[in-house]
Amino acid sequence: MKRSAIFTLITLFVLIPLTLWFGMQLSGRWYYLTSTLIVVEIMIPFFFSFEERKPQARELAVIAVMSAIAAVSRMVVPIPNFKPIFAVIMISGIAFGPQTGFLVGAMSAFASNFFASQGPWTPWQMMAYGVAGLLAGTLARGRKMKKPLPLAVFGFVSVLLVIGPLLDLSSVFTMLTEITWAGVLSVFGYGLTVNVSQGISTAVTLLLVSKPLLQMLERIRVKYGILDQRSFEAGKGDAQ
Amino acid sequence: MAEGRRDAFSAFHPAVNFIFFLIAIGFGVVVQHPVYLTAGLLGAAAYYFLLYGKKGAKLLLALLPVACLIALFNPLFNTRGDVVLFLLFGRPYTLEALLYGCAVGGMLLLMMLWFGCYSAVMTGDKFTSLFGNLIPSLSLLLVMIFRMVPELARKGRQITEARKCIGKGTGAHSRYRDKAKEGLTVLGCLTAWSLEGSIVTADSMKSRGYGCGKRTSFRLSRMTGRDWGALFVMAVLAAGFLTFAAMGSTEAAFTPKLSFAALQGWNILGFAAYCLYLLLPAAIHIEEALRWRAWKSGI
Amino acid sequence: MARLEIRDLSFAYPAHREINTLENVSLSIAQGEYVVLCGRSGSGKTTLLRHLKTTLTPHGVRSGEILYGGKPLCEISLREQTAKIGYVMQNPDDQAVTDKVRHELAFGLESLGCDQKTMRARVAEMACYFGIQGWFHKDVATLSGGQKQLLNLASVMALQPEILILDEPTSQLDPIAASDFLGTVKKISRDLGTTVIISEHRLEEIFPAADRAVVMEGGRIIADDNPRRIGSLLQRNGHPMFAAMPAPVRVFYAAGGEGESPLTVREGRTWLTDTVAAFPKVKSLPAEEKEKKAEPFALQLQDVWFRYEKNGKDILRGVELQLSAGELHAVVGGNGAGKSTMLRSICGICKAQRGKVRVFGKAVEKYGKALFDGCVSMLPQDPKSLFVKDTLWEDLREMTDDEAEILRTAKLCCVEELLDAHPYDLSGGEQQRAALAKALLTKPKLLLLDEPTKGIDSFFKETLAAIFSRLCADGVTILMVSHDVEFCAKHAGSVSMFFDGQILTTDTPRRFFGSNSFYTTAANRMSRHVFDYAVTAEDVAALCRANREERA
Repeated sequence: MKRSAIFTLITLFVLIPLTLWFGMQLSGRWYYLTSTLIVVEIMIPFFFSFEERKPQARELAVIAVMSAIAAVSRMVVPIPNFKPIFAVIMISGIAFGPQTGFLVGAMSAFASNFFASQGPWTPWQMMAYGVAGLLAGTLARGRKMKKPLPLAVFGFVSVLLVIGPLLDLSSVFTMLTEITWAGVLSVFGYGLTVNVSQGISTAVTLLLVSKPLLQMLERIRVKYGILDQRSFEAGKGDAQ
Repeated sequence: MAEGRRDAFSAFHPAVNFIFFLIAIGFGVVVQHPVYLTAGLLGAAAYYFLLYGKKGAKLLLALLPVACLIALFNPLFNTRGDVVLFLLFGRPYTLEALLYGCAVGGMLLLMMLWFGCYSAVMTGDKFTSLFGNLIPSLSLLLVMIFRMVPELARKGRQITEARKCIGKGTGAHSRYRDKAKEGLTVLGCLTAWSLEGSIVTADSMKSRGYGCGKRTSFRLSRMTGRDWGALFVMAVLAAGFLTFAAMGSTEAAFTPKLSFAALQGWNILGFAAYCLYLLLPAAIHIEEALRWRAWKSGI
Repeated sequence: MARLEIRDLSFAYPAHREINTLENVSLSIAQGEYVVLCGRSGSGKTTLLRHLKTTLTPHGVRSGEILYGGKPLCEISLREQTAKIGYVMQNPDDQAVTDKVRHELAFGLESLGCDQKTMRARVAEMACYFGIQGWFHKDVATLSGGQKQLLNLASVMALQPEILILDEPTSQLDPIAASDFLGTVKKISRDLGTTVIISEHRLEEIFPAADRAVVMEGGRIIADDNPRRIGSLLQRNGHPMFAAMPAPVRVFYAAGGEGESPLTVREGRTWLTDTVAAFPKVKSLPAEEKEKKAEPFALQLQDVWFRYEKNGKDILRGVELQLSAGELHAVVGGNGAGKSTMLRSICGICKAQRGKVRVFGKAVEKYGKALFDGCVSMLPQDPKSLFVKDTLWEDLREMTDDEAEILRTAKLCCVEELLDAHPYDLSGGEQQRAALAKALLTKPKLLLLDEPTKGIDSFFKETLAAIFSRLCADGVTILMVSHDVEFCAKHAGSVSMFFDGQILTTDTPRRFFGSNSFYTTAANRMSRHVFDYAVTAEDVAALCRANREERA
């Protein structure tokens, strides 16, 4: 068994329950701290397996480019209410698989917050953006799904139902005075408009550029004999 | 990346900075005892303004209404409490619920202030140098992203402009649809260009030995005696207030009845330790300023 | 003894198995030698250089061997190769890996697992030797191209290599930065005894420093000799590479010189004084008419002022410029003088705060979007910023649906063979022409060019010049902003000097460069004490020949 697999099991069955138990012991508002810790713990296995894989130079460079493009498209977009970031992350996930998709998402969120500001939202954003890549890498890799239209639908639905709510969850834990169903629903309801507009941006972006972008990544893969999907995720990398 | 103002605490080793914020924020988001909370807010705000100067007021002004709203809205949902201030829509609006709202609003404020300070102090540079040995690949990835982001922003502008000059751009009056489409074309061009560049980057990494063995991580700063000293002081103070907190010195309940752990006896010691801890960065900042003044008048 | 020896190396890329990119290349390089590798783009220089470092060696079919210190290169561990063989590539931007200058310097040392103490010492040493202290703590993104490339060199040198390989390191730099860079390379070779293998288009500064020049053509080495003798060989064979030789070499052989040629302007001057004597009979070529601008003007800038921010400094400070229709006008001047801003003001991207920009008599702001529809078009400095599609054909289709028009323009720009290629598979010169084709599809009457010769070798420059002259003959007016003094001297109809936000002087190239003493061509600097207004190597050679005939 690989070390990262053991580590994942430990996280899931020991670390997270322990955190929950510890959180309950605290007086006061323990749920922000506990939930954030759990979010961080969920991400650790991804990062650990990346470290363990000892990525090749070309992998690193390509992941860095995709993360940087996602970060830039989050920060510097001249058009109001139009953020193609989720689409970029999803395309990376589709091209390189779920793990790398997660990494691109999480790193773009983390890195772009260094340019803006870190906040209580940082781990949640890393998680949510990472999930965008993860979902795309898992669900949208089939040949039929890779067509622009199904992708656009997938993008819209996943932003609206998974990624947006995940982001809203950080507001739930920071802003709500008490965690009640009514309170949670009102936060989600409030976030709905933002999520719908984000979903539309994502769908439009996927509709228009998913094909050329996927082709570009394919071209890089073929031209330089790297990032073969199997070897990429298995950590074999390019044979030199 | 935002360059912070000159600050003496930032000059300490990244580990000292990081641990300070870890404890301050971790404690701050849990504890709702009003005395601790007030002290925390004062300490964080002091350091925040030392770091940001006048600019800092902007964030505070943006956050205060949010905090107030949280405070005022809480009693609408939460009607528990003995002291009814007035009836609203037939429901009691209680003092206890209002105070609890204030506490939650205050905690949000505290968190934002600390994160503001953290962002100014823990630059990407420091973060990666601190974690370079623990997570070498991820730190390298982060550093690479930091380098690419400004470069990509510049290239993006360059592409937009170049396309305008062959009549392909959009103006201020273009339709939203056209703008979005043009934006995506630029995104595509940028991606192709940078992916092509990434191969050169990878070659440059390989030709400088990336992947030929275990990497070390270059750090500019070393732990000096001063850093160890600061760490020791922090550890003693934190141990102090955390111990008392574990024993219940920060217990606080608002609804249905206000009940706070009394600030007396040994508990005062814990609170004092917390206050000193909070004031550390600001104190270091001011100490440096005074030292500079003394040096200047000395020559 | 040879430190590095290439024996009978042949290589073919998998995609083009039938063509050998390298063919029976044999070369041996001694410790401490300074070797310049020249040849036009596509002659196999980069492929050859990449074979000298295993990690960079391309995939493909190969025969022959490469020995380093007597041992096959592939048997030498990556670690040792990393430390012993340094490699600097062409593009200054993409080679940097990290965001901080100091981290970049340490990158190689980190890879080798150096301890903190050694790293600190080496990084400090490098920063001092390369004069980087001033920007040691800066972000890489804030550096200029020249600084970036110097940083790339320094971070390779931090590993203290025995051999330094440079693949067209200055092609993306302006002349001053290039000269700084090459000066540093020379210093490394002289002070440290590092073996240097460099491929370059800009030979004027390298030839005097080099021990050997190796010329490649079609994957073979066709000449390998002392730089002083290499020119005679090329000239005798009528080889096109001769046109890329430094001006003194070209003048020497074109004027009928025999044996070893002068390499620097100083040597050229001495030689010229000896050959044609201090008082030549024929002093100047038939005079050009003084440049007269005729109305109607294609472009007219009247007292144009511009600054980016309210309290910022003025970038354009009363620019005056007139272009008559159908001419190729070049604007030369230093970096950051505001030349590019002037082009932007003509495109309406920077709206002049004061003064008037008139294109064909009409104020530029009155055009609106129509400005770029058959009137003005600009070729950006980096052709890559215009490619948005998978093939060149589709890219050109973005501009117009008229396929006949596309084919015509492609033919004009000599890219009709490349229409199915991916824009990024083209060489620098081809990309430049492809981008030009795209810009030309708006059918401009006024074409603006920002540094069109950047990173292009001398053959591609000639092709480009031919395209420009065809365009001018068709009535297109061209305004070109450039650092490339030699190109402007040879091909422009008139030249202006841009300095500190203003146009200072405008004249025909001969008069313009002939009356400058620093900012002028090498041929002019070499000959100005004996001839008047001779600005190109051809001019000087022609005058030499005229004098010889006169005397005979």
